[in-house]
Amino acid sequence: MKLEFTVNGQDYTLDVNPDDRLLDVLRDKLGLTSVKEGCSEGECGACTVIMDGAAVTSCTVLAIQARGKEIITVEGLEKNGELDELQKSFIKNGAVQCGFCTPGMLMSSKALLMKNPNPTEEEIKRAIEGNLCRCTGYVKIIKAVKDVIEG
Amino acid sequence: MKKNKLKYVGKSIPIHDVTEKVTGRLKYVGDIELHGMLHARLLLSDIAHGKIKRIDTSKAEALPGVKAIFTYENSPNTLYNSHVWLEGMEIIKDERLFSDKIRYYGDRIAAVIAEDAKTAKKAVDLIKVEYEELPVITDPEEALKEDVVKIHSPGNVTFSKELECGNIDEGFEKADYVFEDRITTQKQHHAAMEPHVCIAAPDPFGNITIWSPCQVIFQVRLITAEVLNMPLNKIRVIKAPMGGSFGGKGQPILEPICAFLAKEVGTPIKLQMDRVQTIIGTRTRNAVIGKVKTAVDSKGNILARDIDILVDNGAYFTNGSAVNMAMAKKYFRLYRIKNQRYKGTSVYTNTPIGGACRGYGSPQIHTITEINIDNIARSLNMDPVELRLKNLVHPYDEDPIGGPNLGNARVIDCVKKGAEAFKWKEKWNRPKSKGRFVKGVGMACSTHGNGYHGAYPDFITMSLRLTEDGGAYLKSGIHDLGCGTVTSIKQIVAEVLDIHPDKILAPEGDTMISPFDSAGTQASRVTFVCGGCAKKVAELAKDKLISYAAKILNCSKDDIVVEDGLVWSVNTPHYKVSYGSIVTETQNNFEDSIEVTYTYKSPSNPGVYSANFAEVEIDTLTGLVRVVDFLAVHDVGKAINKGFVEGQIHGGVQMGIGYALSEEITIDKKGRIKSDNFNRYHIINAPDMPNVKVLLIEEGEKDGPFGAKSVGEIAAVASTPAVINAINNALDIKINSLPATPEKIIKALKEKERTVNRI
Repeated sequence: MKLEFTVNGQDYTLDVNPDDRLLDVLRDKLGLTSVKEGCSEGECGACTVIMDGAAVTSCTVLAIQARGKEIITVEGLEKNGELDELQKSFIKNGAVQCGFCTPGMLMSSKALLMKNPNPTEEEIKRAIEGNLCRCTGYVKIIKAVKDVIEG
Repeated sequence: MKKNKLKYVGKSIPIHDVTEKVTGRLKYVGDIELHGMLHARLLLSDIAHGKIKRIDTSKAEALPGVKAIFTYENSPNTLYNSHVWLEGMEIIKDERLFSDKIRYYGDRIAAVIAEDAKTAKKAVDLIKVEYEELPVITDPEEALKEDVVKIHSPGNVTFSKELECGNIDEGFEKADYVFEDRITTQKQHHAAMEPHVCIAAPDPFGNITIWSPCQVIFQVRLITAEVLNMPLNKIRVIKAPMGGSFGGKGQPILEPICAFLAKEVGTPIKLQMDRVQTIIGTRTRNAVIGKVKTAVDSKGNILARDIDILVDNGAYFTNGSAVNMAMAKKYFRLYRIKNQRYKGTSVYTNTPIGGACRGYGSPQIHTITEINIDNIARSLNMDPVELRLKNLVHPYDEDPIGGPNLGNARVIDCVKKGAEAFKWKEKWNRPKSKGRFVKGVGMACSTHGNGYHGAYPDFITMSLRLTEDGGAYLKSGIHDLGCGTVTSIKQIVAEVLDIHPDKILAPEGDTMISPFDSAGTQASRVTFVCGGCAKKVAELAKDKLISYAAKILNCSKDDIVVEDGLVWSVNTPHYKVSYGSIVTETQNNFEDSIEVTYTYKSPSNPGVYSANFAEVEIDTLTGLVRVVDFLAVHDVGKAINKGFVEGQIHGGVQMGIGYALSEEITIDKKGRIKSDNFNRYHIINAPDMPNVKVLLIEEGEKDGPFGAKSVGEIAAVASTPAVINAINNALDIKINSLPATPEKIIKALKEKERTVNRI
């Protein structure tokens, strides 16, 4: 099947199988390995990407469902060699430990900030409720997102 | 000496690979592709106990893309124990690569190698296994009985030990009250976000290289060499980036299998588990049944304590004795109790295998004893803080069973300062809320160790070379599990040498080039022992730098000043030379290198301590508990990197709250695992986490580098009993089985109601 879509600002036309997940296509065909597989059922959020402005778990989206859509992964956050404010804030606030959940956390937070540049702490927590982290207790992640708003 | 003016130690420097992590550029093992690499998947059993009558792999073999299939029929039958990390450890060996007998739901039956992971999975599903089923034991108390089925031929009881101090009978005779509790703790999944994965690749010389997110490179090499009957030097283990471990990746599970497959097939192999396999087929925190009996006088002085611990090994032994002994040791090191006894037994059951899990017995033993301590306080109508303060250990107390001295044990400071910061008295004395939502507070203490000194050999060798450009290269077998080990070690070396941490190269472990380390990232030893070695080797290198600088600058060693990468003589302060110049001149004029190799033996094993304070809100209609406020106070000696220490504590509390409230590997009567993915295994997510506050007690430990002690494991201990105690205090119930699910809370409330009505 033919899949035409945009990933990190670039147009692609790919040949995909009907049972390929968006996760498989991003990782295996486009080499975007920031997209991690942690549970394969949309519960851990490690594979979160932004699809047409909304955070989705790419392990529960079929590749073909991304037809005509615009996808952003962590690889697309850096602009002209400069990290996104959110990435900088994660570094500054020590929000990263093992780093396996980090790309998914960044994408869920980014999707939130794209829709709502001034979220409350509760809204931040809700935005990352589907992103599990075993290292940080979420404390510094929430602080990192808040810092971007307060900027 | 500029005392107390630390330049790098104590600072919150980000983890060394943070940029690669936030950009997604860091390659974890699952992200690595090697030329010609094939993919492997395991077939795990779907019954809990039985003999394999027949394995039919014909359909799987016929699937296009399948390259090979291995079962017990064409793989080594060497028995091993994946817990062993040092040659010479004597222990039960009961594992093999693939079983002919199934002992739990998740036992390894076969591995399929295919062109890609999808094909390997399809092929695994096509393998047909016929079993002769055997009776299943899931309850450790059932396993103790004489007339039940034996899971391994020597019998189900694998270990028993008794330890005692003082005179237990005398203590109980003098008691005004005796309080007994029977408390059970469950199997917990480590839930590192990265599922288990490994790559092994053969080379034309007959060597095998393994890339693994592991905790102990020399252990992976040892076990793999044993299973494959190969010389140690033929196996190279490289510590790869780690997407979390928490003990789960401590024992080599996939590595020997993956190395075997690579050796047989002659190509690189990636062996990966998904979440379901990681939950059922790796390791778990051992479930424990604890019966504790405590004798007190009317003033709340603890006179004696007796405990009976039953550890559920699961289907294979691994660390069945070590985890029991770890619990025993912690039991004696938190309170000053003159007369105490610990009786520990371990048994096999047809359930997932136990292994290292953050805290290594501390969460279980302290959950059991700290709930009991709070139950005593409530019965005596005493503030649990006051009861603890009467009985906790003091700095430099001796271990009553002859273990290492407790060191600068500051648990009393933790409790006092924590109670004040948490406004404990005010919250404790608050009138109990009535109505649907009830609030309450609870607290608990814990202790943990700093390495293996006193139990197992604990030493590490490091090499440090100053480079021609004024940097330093530290060669050692360290492992960063995502906790910041590399950066912390660099901060220690940087502080001694007085150069910026960025100028230090400190690669992680690689058995081909790293000097030997006796125990890896286990037993909360890294900061205390490896950090101690880093400090010592840096001091020796600095001394060598000073010696040559004296020769080069034509003065005595005492005249040399070393500061911020520069060296000069007090006689000629205007003439300053860089470390790099001294290194270069030493090479050219003295044919020597500013380089030192040192083997550091851990000199002691003090305790670390904590007091955690929790406030919970319980919905008495649904039984749902929310932790609304939390303070963790930790006696860490000195934080090498404050941000990392806070991060460890935040994450540890998340694991501890989950253990208290929701996390459990649930097993039915047939041994089938129900909670085999995150929709059925509930770890605490962001909205359910309180904003954890951290208070550090930094009073310094004599043998720790810059006074530092451990934190990573103890961080996950006291939060569990603190939360349970808060629930018990709020509702005046006795939760005695973890996790405190809504069902259990409602049941306890109904029982309380019935009791009240009867009265």
